[in-house]
Amino acid sequence: MAAKYVITLCDGTKCINNGAHRVRAALDEQLRAHGLTDQVRINLSGCLGMCEKGPIMVVNPGYVIYGGLDESDVERIVTEHLVGGKLIGDLEVEQDHLYNRFYRIFGDVGFFGKQMRIALRNCGIINPENIDDYLSLRGYEALGKALTEMSPADIVAEVQRSGLRGRGGAGFPTGLKWKLTAAEKATPKYVICNADEGDPGAFMDRSAIEGDPHTVVEGMALGAYAVGAERGVVYIRAEYPLAIKRITKAIEDARAHGFLGERILGSDFNFDIEIRLGAGAFVCGEETALIHSIEGARGMPRPRPPYPSVQGLFGKPTLINNVETWANIPVIIMDGATWFSTVGTETSKGTKVFALAGKVVNTGLVEVPMGTTLREIIYDIGGGLPGGRKFKAVQTGGPSGGCLPERCLDTPIDYESLAKAGSIMGSGGMIVIDEDSCMVDIARFFLEFTQNESCGKCTPCREGTKRMLEILTRITEGKGRAGDIEKLQRLGETIKKASLCGLGQSAPNPVLSTIENFREEYEEHIEQGKCRAGACKALIRFEILQMCKGCGVCRKVCPVGAITGQAKHLHVIDQDKCVRCGLCFEKCKFDAIVKV
Amino acid sequence: MTTPLELVRKKRTEAVGRIVSKGYLASARVYVGMATCEIAAGSKDVMAVFQKAMDEGLANVYLSQKGCAGRCNLEPTVEVIMTGKNPVKYGKVTPRRAEAIIERHIKNGQVIDEWVID
Ligand SMILES: Cc1cc2nc3c(=O)[nH]c(=O)nc-3n(C[C@H](O)[C@H](O)[C@H](O)COP(=O)(O)O)c2cc1C
Repeated sequence: MAAKYVITLCDGTKCINNGAHRVRAALDEQLRAHGLTDQVRINLSGCLGMCEKGPIMVVNPGYVIYGGLDESDVERIVTEHLVGGKLIGDLEVEQDHLYNRFYRIFGDVGFFGKQMRIALRNCGIINPENIDDYLSLRGYEALGKALTEMSPADIVAEVQRSGLRGRGGAGFPTGLKWKLTAAEKATPKYVICNADEGDPGAFMDRSAIEGDPHTVVEGMALGAYAVGAERGVVYIRAEYPLAIKRITKAIEDARAHGFLGERILGSDFNFDIEIRLGAGAFVCGEETALIHSIEGARGMPRPRPPYPSVQGLFGKPTLINNVETWANIPVIIMDGATWFSTVGTETSKGTKVFALAGKVVNTGLVEVPMGTTLREIIYDIGGGLPGGRKFKAVQTGGPSGGCLPERCLDTPIDYESLAKAGSIMGSGGMIVIDEDSCMVDIARFFLEFTQNESCGKCTPCREGTKRMLEILTRITEGKGRAGDIEKLQRLGETIKKASLCGLGQSAPNPVLSTIENFREEYEEHIEQGKCRAGACKALIRFEILQMCKGCGVCRKVCPVGAITGQAKHLHVIDQDKCVRCGLCFEKCKFDAIVKV
Repeated sequence: MTTPLELVRKKRTEAVGRIVSKGYLASARVYVGMATCEIAAGSKDVMAVFQKAMDEGLANVYLSQKGCAGRCNLEPTVEVIMTGKNPVKYGKVTPRRAEAIIERHIKNGQVIDEWVID
């Protein structure tokens, strides 16, 4: 006999203290009394995070959450809900929200406790290649609701009221963009999902599509209905084969179920999605360049206005949003703008996904409410720096962002606060940097990236970033000159002002922010030829101390034969031959080699 | 006439039925992380171990893949949900660990604490 209900009882400490075990006993007793033992399956869960309302019981199917239970409530749940099929309103502690459903990722409270999952609500929970899994978690219900009860204008208004802002980097109010696109008369209109994700080290959008592709499809269908579009395009980089496979399957399955195609779910709304692969150029993530790329032209930006909402794909009104932005839409429609806007800060609503990386214990993908501080993300969720290393900076916003020092750690995450602190929210890269990294070298790394990716169309970006890179390179080589810092600042400001698109307008940010916050490191490189992190190879030297035992290990590991010496005698490094790889330094068992 | 919303709800009921008919209510549910990051960490081999065990007769197990939950440094991850027990999530699962999870946890109900993420 197959079970008809699965009941999950919270087995967290607080729930147990509040009587979870008595509830369990009463439940067993009641099920026996009603002869339901075979039809109800009982699972336990770790803390569900609703401690103040414990003991908590979740009844599936339906995800009905009952709380504050005692023995007498259990009898009602069994007779009224399990037998009678009716929900018991006064025991329910929460509506059937779409967000935050990681009942099965719990257990790991340290990592997930401070997170709130809206965009990634199904990631790591469902089988992304099975539409049934998505449907079972109320997938496509937002689309059904929209087509049944809401006009396109209602949807636009709901998204506007939610306060959602674009997650692709710029943070433009999503509802306003939808309203502008909806107001255009020209047809056909298009919607685009920007899944180009070009920031080095970023993987938020890839994980979102790989973990839950249907939410993006559903979000796009809602957007298309709202603005009056019949065609959609997912623009995704070819380097993401698994994400491409899963979104392709999701689109096919959605079509087979009538969530895409003609007369969707029996309404008169028609919409379908196709996939376009990007070749992996950073600039093709910029919306106008992306549109050119879809049209078959070279991926170069053009001046705006006109914005894509007026003149986008094939010259027609086009709604373009980022993967994570789309993933929020079904939740806004189901759980409502009123609820959504309670999450986050005054100007930034909802959550943001970050790819946490660098010198941090728990590297990974995190989704936190806006307003969470950098410190909470790095220390509480990320577990701090490994091996007691000392924090130096956190880089946010990738190649368009900046590096923030320790004193900024209590900055709450939102678009305005991060900008005020001297960085940007960006699309969600977050790299923790410790004392072993040189800030000049990091700035050089990002600038080298943007310089490489500059499309070359406008002079400030093409030539300016090249000159900046030259200066940075010579500083890291110990050949910096007096006035270089000022020159970098002047160039940077000019490039920001004069470039055509966001690439150039933001490329100097990593340099300007490190000069602002870590100026002394630039000065040390230029004035003293010193790199305090020991990261700039031209500025360090390895030396063997008198205490050398002459074991010969360093001589053997040196890849260029720069170390000489006889067994049991002091060895020496030929500084002209040495390539400063540091192998001898790492391998010496007697700490007789020093980095100076 | 059925409204779009009623239609979706009906599809949901059918979907739940299909999931159940595929053995969802088995006494152990096993989820193996299969995103790009998990696969790069070796989860395909781990999945193969579970699949092989089932092909060779391991019964009453529902095996599924899942996307990335965000635990990059502990991948591949495997979640085991046994009826009446707390869900358990294992990190850094190798094929050998997968075999041990089958023998000790799934067959004998013994959680292998040292590999659990908590
Ligand atoms: C150089 C450059 C690269 C960009 N790369 C991306 C990207 O990879 N993904 C993305 O969603 N937006 C990217 N954007 C932002 C897009 O131009 C656009 O603002 C965004 O797709 C709008 O969606 P949203 O409002 O949902 O964020 C990039 C912008 C610039 C200037």
